[in-house]
Amino acid sequence: MTPSTPRVLVPSAAAKGEVIKVKTIISHQMETGLRHNSQGQVIPRKIINRFVCRYGGEVVFSVDLHEAISANPFIEFYLRATDSGRLEFIWEEDGGGVYRLEHELAVA
Amino acid sequence: MSLTRRDVLVAGCAGGTALASTFFWPGSVRAQDEAVQLVERLTGQAPTVSDRLHLVMPAVFPTGYTVPMDLDIESPMTEDDHVRRIRVFAPQNPLLQVASFNFVPQRSVARVSTRIRLAEPQYVVAVAEMSDGTLLMTKTWVDVATNGCI
Repeated sequence: MTPSTPRVLVPSAAAKGEVIKVKTIISHQMETGLRHNSQGQVIPRKIINRFVCRYGGEVVFSVDLHEAISANPFIEFYLRATDSGRLEFIWEEDGGGVYRLEHELAVA
Repeated sequence: MSLTRRDVLVAGCAGGTALASTFFWPGSVRAQDEAVQLVERLTGQAPTVSDRLHLVMPAVFPTGYTVPMDLDIESPMTEDDHVRRIRVFAPQNPLLQVASFNFVPQRSVARVSTRIRLAEPQYVVAVAEMSDGTLLMTKTWVDVATNGCI
């Protein structure tokens, strides 16, 4: 399986109070645990089960994902730009794998 | 078979309302009740059907693997009045939970887009938990041509 690569599209600067759009995607199979291989054995579930966005260290948005989220989960959401700070994006996978990205946001 | 309005009314009076309404309009009272009951069973609380929730999905989509879903809830997102979380269900999927989106007042906006898997044509149900503890819900019919859950 190819390693998962997360990507984020978010502005680097915003006006105070402005609502910014954040687009995130991670390449991932999102194996549901409902499929069988050619020997009739269940292919174990392996999905991204949680996504968290921190802004200045504080959780500002999160998602609990289930099997019905498509492969290569895409999540688009909106944040209010309050202060300059670091945005952290964290994807947690079944089995404990974690993928991260960071982004600096300047608020004027 | 030709049915006049009079026939339908007569059938309704005779107790065939449920049959007639599902027959004529999929967005019927019966389907609404089923969605409400489902949410009540899953959450233990009766939801209110609300037009503050906007669940936008294509009415017809060729594949069930990646059906776009946009959710938008009308909310000021203040400490006193905000959306805590939105849960999405696909009742006809083998596993009916789709996702749960958690918001923070003043920081995030109750609006999100993603792509989901659907096993068959069905109503997708969105339930918003508001800061005062009430549940608001809405549902949208999506017709998919192929099963996206295998």
